[in-house]
Amino acid sequence: MLALRAVLAVALVVCGTVIIVRVAALGVRFESLPGLVLGAAMMALGVHRISLILRLRGGGVAR
Amino acid sequence: MPTTSKPELRRSVTPWGSFSWGYSDVGADIFVGLGLVLAAAAGASNVAFLFAGIVYVCIGLAYTELAATYPVAGGGQYFVLRGLGDIFGFIAGWAVLLDFTIDITLFAWTCVDYLSQLLPVLTGSVHPWVHFLVTLGLIVGLCALNVVGVRESTAFNGAVSALDVVSETCILCFGFLFAFRPELLVHNMQMSWPSPYQLMLGTSLAIISFVGLESISQAAQETQRPASVIPRTSIALILTILIFALAYSNLALGMQPWHPITDAAGHPIQFWQIFPNNGDNQGKAVALLAEQVPYFGAIAAFYVPILGAVLLLISSNSGVFGSSRIAYAMSKSNLLPSIFQRVHSKFRTPAISIVAFGGVAVLELIFAAFPSLHPDAMTLYARFFRNESGLDFLADLYAFGAATSYSFVFVALIALRLTDPLSPRKFKIPLNVPVRVRGERAEFPVIGVIGFVGILSILVFTLFTHPIGRIAGPSWLFLGLIAYVIYRRHRGLPVFGSQKRDWRKAQVEILRNAGELELMDEYVASVKASDERRAKAGV
Repeated sequence: MLALRAVLAVALVVCGTVIIVRVAALGVRFESLPGLVLGAAMMALGVHRISLILRLRGGGVAR
Repeated sequence: MPTTSKPELRRSVTPWGSFSWGYSDVGADIFVGLGLVLAAAAGASNVAFLFAGIVYVCIGLAYTELAATYPVAGGGQYFVLRGLGDIFGFIAGWAVLLDFTIDITLFAWTCVDYLSQLLPVLTGSVHPWVHFLVTLGLIVGLCALNVVGVRESTAFNGAVSALDVVSETCILCFGFLFAFRPELLVHNMQMSWPSPYQLMLGTSLAIISFVGLESISQAAQETQRPASVIPRTSIALILTILIFALAYSNLALGMQPWHPITDAAGHPIQFWQIFPNNGDNQGKAVALLAEQVPYFGAIAAFYVPILGAVLLLISSNSGVFGSSRIAYAMSKSNLLPSIFQRVHSKFRTPAISIVAFGGVAVLELIFAAFPSLHPDAMTLYARFFRNESGLDFLADLYAFGAATSYSFVFVALIALRLTDPLSPRKFKIPLNVPVRVRGERAEFPVIGVIGFVGILSILVFTLFTHPIGRIAGPSWLFLGLIAYVIYRRHRGLPVFGSQKRDWRKAQVEILRNAGELELMDEYVASVKASDERRAKAGV
């Protein structure tokens, strides 16, 4: 279960990075805003989940 | 407040159960909202979701703080009652009740729409009677399940929620990695930007993709260690739902479909263009999107309609759960007759509330389905409601109920911060301005004001752009208020004022019942210190 959650978290970070890079390549414009927010939110959630999993493996507080 | 002599709701919802109650309700919203918003807001659908999403984050934070501070079954209704008084508590609770009864019908309806992707006999426009009867059967079945008990439901919710999170993550990852074309997104946004009216309509519909955090606070009275669990589950829920909603809308506008899509004349069209003026497609948007995702779409085409249908069914179930719990809490606060707080002696569930509001949901279903079942009704509806379909009718009322109750909750949040600064808040919304109120230190929530302005604007958009919503929504509130006045007069209770309540005693009782004994001790010590300070100051 923990491994699956880790895979999903990494997938979120990768996906968020891809979105940000590809949307940012179009330049700074209004139309890029929703994509940038989405990519940032995905990365934030992915990193948050990875940190929770690492804490869990390190004997931290269980979810 | 709860007494020990009568049967009470049992605390059987675990942290994951609390998350899945919320997720199965809010998470299913995108399955309904995506098609409606794409049809209304076209190239600005992602902006509509972004605006509604920002408001939703504010709402989510407000609910998280309030539900962790006051973990009782009433949710928004209780917060407003405590912050603003009885009559406003009734209005907020009545609006939430409208939302939950609509939730039961709308999600059972779209559950059948998703199943129609695999079973064409269920398609509403082709076999309206079959669609109606299956939806009716689902509602009646869910009411029966809820009378039996909550534990069975939470276990079921948990498994499906986990499966759905995995599935949606896969759809989005494959979609963004293999089908997403940013230049197509920009092109669609520039070339298909809607009129201001359509954008307002789309934004008001987008908020229905974020309704359901109420479920977590509803479950608070049945959750173990709610002050610790509620913030954790809510924050995870807020982020997950926000990402899914933004991701689906951006992907729908910027994806290169795996299989070419054409219109009736055989001309190639964009994916989002299959939704305007097509109620069948609007009701199963996520399934249609999933099958257009490269590679994964081959599998998704078969199981996403089923998964979507199950999730929507659970969401409908959350509506049954939520409406009965709110009615239970309102009845305990003397806002509704005492019959709604009767708990079943064997199952310990509020059986009468479940049956009563399940009945309201059935009436809403009949009203929504009537135009498609009877040709004369179609003419009548076309004359009075600008040709709105059954799905539109349900969505209108859903948006109205949510926007109304959330507006009150923001005001209650601000009021409670100022009038009840001593209650321990294990989670507090960020961005606060320190103030002093009657000698006590309090914090004014800036995000509460931002959220209030945001949700109020969505309420205005709803009233402005929804022909049925602006009639039926206020009518529901008006009829409820009449019933409230009659009931309060009959009981000899103040009609426009509030009953005298000892909120301090109530708070101690709430924290004790929740098992938050450390917080209870902290609260008692704060109250004692405050009383001593006031006595010294001669107040």
